[in-house]
Amino acid sequence: MRKLVWRNLLRNKRRTLFTVASLTMAVFLLCVLGALLQTFNPEETETSEKRVVVRHAVSLQFELPEAYWSRLETLEHVEAVSPLSWFGGIYKDTRPENFFAQFATDPETLLDVFQGMEIDPTTGEAWLAERRSFIAGRTLAEKHGWQVGDEIFLQGEIYPTDLSLVLRGTFTYPADESQENQIFFHHAYVEEALGNPGTVGTFWLRVDDLASVPLVIEAAEEMFENSEARVKAETEQAFAASFTEMLGNVELLFGAIGFAVVVSVFFITANTMAMAVRERLREISVLKTLGFGRRQILGGVTAESAVIGFLGGVLGVLFALLLVKAAARGLSGMFPLFSAMTLGPDVALLGLAAALGLGALSGFIPGYAMARRSIVEGLRKVG
Amino acid sequence: MSDPVVRIENVSKVYGGDRLRVEVLSDIDLEIEEGGFVALMGPSGSGKTTLLNLIAAVDRPTSGRVVVAGQDTTQLSESELAAWRHRNIGYIFQLYNLIPVLTAYENVELPLTLSRLSSADRRAKVETALEVVGLTDRSDHFPRELSGGQEQRVAIARAIVTDPTVLLADEPTGDLDAASAGSVLRLLERLNDEFEKTIVMVTHDPRAADHAHRFLHLDKGKLWSDPAESPPVAGSGGEG
Repeated sequence: MRKLVWRNLLRNKRRTLFTVASLTMAVFLLCVLGALLQTFNPEETETSEKRVVVRHAVSLQFELPEAYWSRLETLEHVEAVSPLSWFGGIYKDTRPENFFAQFATDPETLLDVFQGMEIDPTTGEAWLAERRSFIAGRTLAEKHGWQVGDEIFLQGEIYPTDLSLVLRGTFTYPADESQENQIFFHHAYVEEALGNPGTVGTFWLRVDDLASVPLVIEAAEEMFENSEARVKAETEQAFAASFTEMLGNVELLFGAIGFAVVVSVFFITANTMAMAVRERLREISVLKTLGFGRRQILGGVTAESAVIGFLGGVLGVLFALLLVKAAARGLSGMFPLFSAMTLGPDVALLGLAAALGLGALSGFIPGYAMARRSIVEGLRKVG
Repeated sequence: MSDPVVRIENVSKVYGGDRLRVEVLSDIDLEIEEGGFVALMGPSGSGKTTLLNLIAAVDRPTSGRVVVAGQDTTQLSESELAAWRHRNIGYIFQLYNLIPVLTAYENVELPLTLSRLSSADRRAKVETALEVVGLTDRSDHFPRELSGGQEQRVAIARAIVTDPTVLLADEPTGDLDAASAGSVLRLLERLNDEFEKTIVMVTHDPRAADHAHRFLHLDKGKLWSDPAESPPVAGSGGEG
């Protein structure tokens, strides 16, 4: 029977190829959508879970008074506070490959908050000592071929000032290489260039333990409840998720696309299998005359379509893997988030299982109907 | 006297519902002894193939009993029937009905894949069956690479490979030229003489029927065993 299943698969090679291709496409889309979702909702690491972001309650477009810094440091369970302001300047030109994240921060406290960041002590001291200096993630520095002492120029887009910065060294972030696609420079230097407005984009807090995070969030919001600039405090992951939420309910959108794709491909595959089985009605009746039971007939047809599903699944996962790797390489410069884009084993397995299930079900339905058809009726079929 | 290998008692077969009711077989009684070679003749639409299908248990009678190889097949479930057919029935079709994607060898081997035989035992049986039909040298050929007569001989090998109790042949020469038909009929005769196979053959060709030991004539749903009562009509239609 195995031989018959295999030969039937090769009976109409073009049809089998197209059916496999449609399943490949469906699994490919499912896996890519799944990988995107996982990229937009990264798993929390132990250190990121202990970080709290404080920003303006209304919008990120509004800045917070610099004076909040010292007040936030007084909160119970807070071990360190560092300002981070998105500068968003143009480096060289507006081409995507020259885009990277640029943050004004405090060199003294940054590493206390981002403990996963690794920097050579000499570099750290040199950066701290020179107000015009900056540090760059190793990946980014390598991409642009920057050497220590190189000067870069950032044309201000959000802030009405341009910056001339000198590289004092690089940092690494072993736990999350996507963090190595950004640069940090002195908040004080930007302040000075802007005429000391005394504002900060966001404050990042490191909390002593995980259990205290909700307490710190509540306390931070309470602290400035009656201030002119009320704040919104949230975990780092919630903060990151808020960016994808700007696109709308991505999870729902991707889920709906994935579902539509799966259902469409199911109908295509089921129709193809139904045609293939119907064409073989006479042969199926002959098999039954020879003593093959309904279960064997049904098993044969289902196995045939399950093999198609499996092949489509494997190819879909492979193509998705290639695309995800290419996206991680090609888009990480523009969107650091993508450098961490991977095809998780859970997504790959889900894709494979969906293909296998779709394939098997597509064969099972016509197979069940044919297995139950009368032998005499099948033998009468001509052609 | 031994028990008949096929015993049909008061069998009727009606197709259709209340509005369009066609009685194909009416109150048929028939006994076929082990080792018999019976030719079942009759005009088109007389119910020959229906009777053959009832013996093969691929169809069920509307009423009556069909006992083949000691088993009342009307009492068996679908899955029991499949296993029973595998053990007891070898069916030869007019249009050969070989599986086009399998070679001659694989077609003959197909019924044996249902048994628990080792591949060596299967090979031995398939080779024997192909030798009996004289097609050992064509075992690797696909049906499309064989002539009609050769295809029918492969179909006969497939029918005998499980050593069934009864061989049923539905117009086995209906689609063949005279030479191929002669070869197939001589083969059936040999299976009956040498291997003592019980054969029931549906045919509308009196020359084919000549190879049988006993003639039965079906007409208007009734079975006649004495040709004098209702002689076979030469040149009548092939479909039963």
